[in-house]
Amino acid sequence: MDVSQYLEIFIDESGEHLQTLSDCIMTLEKEPDNKDTINEVFRAAHSLKGMAGTMGFKRMQHLTHDMENVFQEVRSDKIQVDSSMIDLLFECLSAIEGYLDNIKATSDEGTEDNELIIKELNDFIAKAKGEAVESAPKESAAEEKPKESDGSFKKFELSDTEKKTVAGAREGGSHIYGMTVYVEKDCLLKAARAFLVFRAVEEFGQIVVYRPSSQDVEDEKFDLDFSFYIASTEPLDKIEAAAKNVSEIEKVISLEIEEEKTEAAESAPASTESKSAAAASAPAKTAAAPKAAAPAAKKQTAGKPATNRTVRVDIEKLDALMNQVSELIIAKNSLVSISSTEGGNFASQGFHEQIEYLERITTSLHESVMKVRMVPIENVVNKFPRMIRDLSRTLNKKMELVMTGEDTELDRTVVDQIGDPLQHLLRNSADHGLEDAALRAQRGKPEVGNIFLNAYQEGNNVIIQVGDDGNGIDTEAVKNKAVERGIITPEQAEAMSQKEIVNLLFMPSFSMAKKITDISGRGVGLDVVKSGIEQLGGDVEVKTKLGEGTTFTVRLPLTLAIIQALMVEVRDEKYAIALGSISNIEDIPVKEIKYVQAKEVIHLRGSVIPLIRLDQILDIEPREEEPESLTVVIVKRGDSQAGLVVDNLMGQQEIVIKSLGKYINGNKLISGATILGDGEVALILDVNTLM
Amino acid sequence: MAENKVEIIEKSTKQYIVVQIGSEKYGIDIGYVDNIVRMQKITRVPKAQVYFKGIINLRGEIVPVMSIRTKMGLDDDVFTNASRIIILKIEDRGALGVIVDEVCEVVTLSEDEIDRSAVSANNAKDNFINGIGKNGDALISLFEINAIIDERENA
Repeated sequence: MDVSQYLEIFIDESGEHLQTLSDCIMTLEKEPDNKDTINEVFRAAHSLKGMAGTMGFKRMQHLTHDMENVFQEVRSDKIQVDSSMIDLLFECLSAIEGYLDNIKATSDEGTEDNELIIKELNDFIAKAKGEAVESAPKESAAEEKPKESDGSFKKFELSDTEKKTVAGAREGGSHIYGMTVYVEKDCLLKAARAFLVFRAVEEFGQIVVYRPSSQDVEDEKFDLDFSFYIASTEPLDKIEAAAKNVSEIEKVISLEIEEEKTEAAESAPASTESKSAAAASAPAKTAAAPKAAAPAAKKQTAGKPATNRTVRVDIEKLDALMNQVSELIIAKNSLVSISSTEGGNFASQGFHEQIEYLERITTSLHESVMKVRMVPIENVVNKFPRMIRDLSRTLNKKMELVMTGEDTELDRTVVDQIGDPLQHLLRNSADHGLEDAALRAQRGKPEVGNIFLNAYQEGNNVIIQVGDDGNGIDTEAVKNKAVERGIITPEQAEAMSQKEIVNLLFMPSFSMAKKITDISGRGVGLDVVKSGIEQLGGDVEVKTKLGEGTTFTVRLPLTLAIIQALMVEVRDEKYAIALGSISNIEDIPVKEIKYVQAKEVIHLRGSVIPLIRLDQILDIEPREEEPESLTVVIVKRGDSQAGLVVDNLMGQQEIVIKSLGKYINGNKLISGATILGDGEVALILDVNTLM
Repeated sequence: MAENKVEIIEKSTKQYIVVQIGSEKYGIDIGYVDNIVRMQKITRVPKAQVYFKGIINLRGEIVPVMSIRTKMGLDDDVFTNASRIIILKIEDRGALGVIVDEVCEVVTLSEDEIDRSAVSANNAKDNFINGIGKNGDALISLFEINAIIDERENA
């Protein structure tokens, strides 16, 4: 079967299921008795198995199958969740992730069998079975390896509801027979055969228990055999004959299940062909209990996850939609500019009203489209608790991650790219930030280190704070290291403010780690974080106090596509400056310009701000004579400021950011272009590179 | 029979848009041409490669515009009423505008009307040309589109 067209969906959904699994297992670790979580885990594992099977990823299917078995045992209270099991399960998840990565890269699951993990999983079940008095460990081992079975009736455990159903049927005077049906190896439509078998035997009674579940049997999610319990008043051989009548059925093994079913299973070694142990022991008086059907049906429906009221949309379609909305806004802007400039011809009130109406519609349309593109950062951050847990093990430090604001929404493109920088910051906190237990105790801090990730919206930005209550940054050490590396001279070091020193950490190849660990310290550190965040139009700041902790504050724009900007003129060229990076606008008399190290600065309300002549850096013809006062747009990045000298302010405008394309390059000053209402093109200045 | 003949001809011919740059005529494979627009205001992009005149707004799209004259090392463009911007559409890289002095006509050239050997690698200008088309008496230099979009600049 050609399944390549489903591959993408498979990868997507598997990722989601894995995430669910990981979340739930984290929860289980804290509350091992949470039934809802256990059920959810089971469902996720089960779907994962089914999907892998459908796609023909046998190894993945095998692994998930064994994992599901463990969950099955947990669900039926045979196994208690403990920390070694959680570890094992996480190993499993990593292995499955490995498969998934392989599939993503090569459309093939790879050849890693992960036998070790599978063996451990089975050991787990075997151990649990050994403890559960009901059956011998040997048999349970056989149960886990269905392929090795020699054609006996397969014993299986019943869940509580199933036990009740069986008991109910028994009270109704029916016999309970267990049957295992083996389908011929080359049978093509196994599910159809199974259906025929079910239909044949249901003439005699009511099937009360299915193994695998009837849903799975219908979906062909079984190897070559399936089993069921049937409640019937007819003798066993009749039912067996009916089942065998269905073609392509290799054999049918059956026996009557006694009240004490453990005994029955052991006492009846169920020889190959039907020498059924207690065949027609007690003929029945009443028909199969109808009430048996109800609980069985209920169980089936509970297995299906509730459907979401969502639609999956290709991001490209959304981008196209977004582009069209942008066009609409541009068209609207040009209508607005016509109506205001050529007022004479379009003065009628009706026209203005319609323009305003159009404005309202485009604005709300734009908002709606933006909202569609917004996704909660949850998708990215929810893998972090697991990561911190793993780090806690490898680093042998006790730590806990507290996250807030996971539902904060960001543009899809931003969310997709923010994961790595955040992960890096968290690893930093875990590795460098938190002290070891002894030092923490000495400092009177709680034993468990606290790492936090807080996200919230602030105006047109989303702020994500990542930090810890650990050691903080030792600025002296940073300074010494920088001098040692020759990044700064000792004299420079003396003159540097705390803040400047901390910013050294963002220099390329500057790692403070004393030794290289798995977690961090390879020198590709904070500079990558910084450039990653800056690429998204955001910035990152650090606050630290030695001995008390460090907080990284990441500021990101809500969206990348449309921003509020201040339009300025330099000679006859128009430029847009993102409103978010402007702090204020000043008129500065030329005579107030001072010089520091031969560079122009202004002294404004206590701070010294360097002046940047836009005409100079943008290669524009200089003015013939300098006016008496300059219009200066003060921009900020983090705590640093700069004053941009412009000729004219044109006002604030909502602009649609367009890329310059792939041809023009070597241009860091310009981050894009936008089309103004009159169709003219204006360039967007990237303030970050100016400073 | 007649139909067959037409098919054969179609297979071995290509259409070229003939443009005037300076005193010479150049041909651009019509397959690459998306559009031809009149000269309009080009917004200068500071610090860009010198042969990029800037960007224009082509029905809501930002399209970079290149001066093929600068790239080939000829005199600067003189914009006249006849000046046009040829919009080339190139897979993966998007649209690109090329300024020409004048658009003359569209010609159909079969492979045997194109002289590939006249192109020598020594002549700097020839780097942008992959053959000479003969259309009656007129000679048309055929542009190698990939050379035009390449980073490389004529010194």
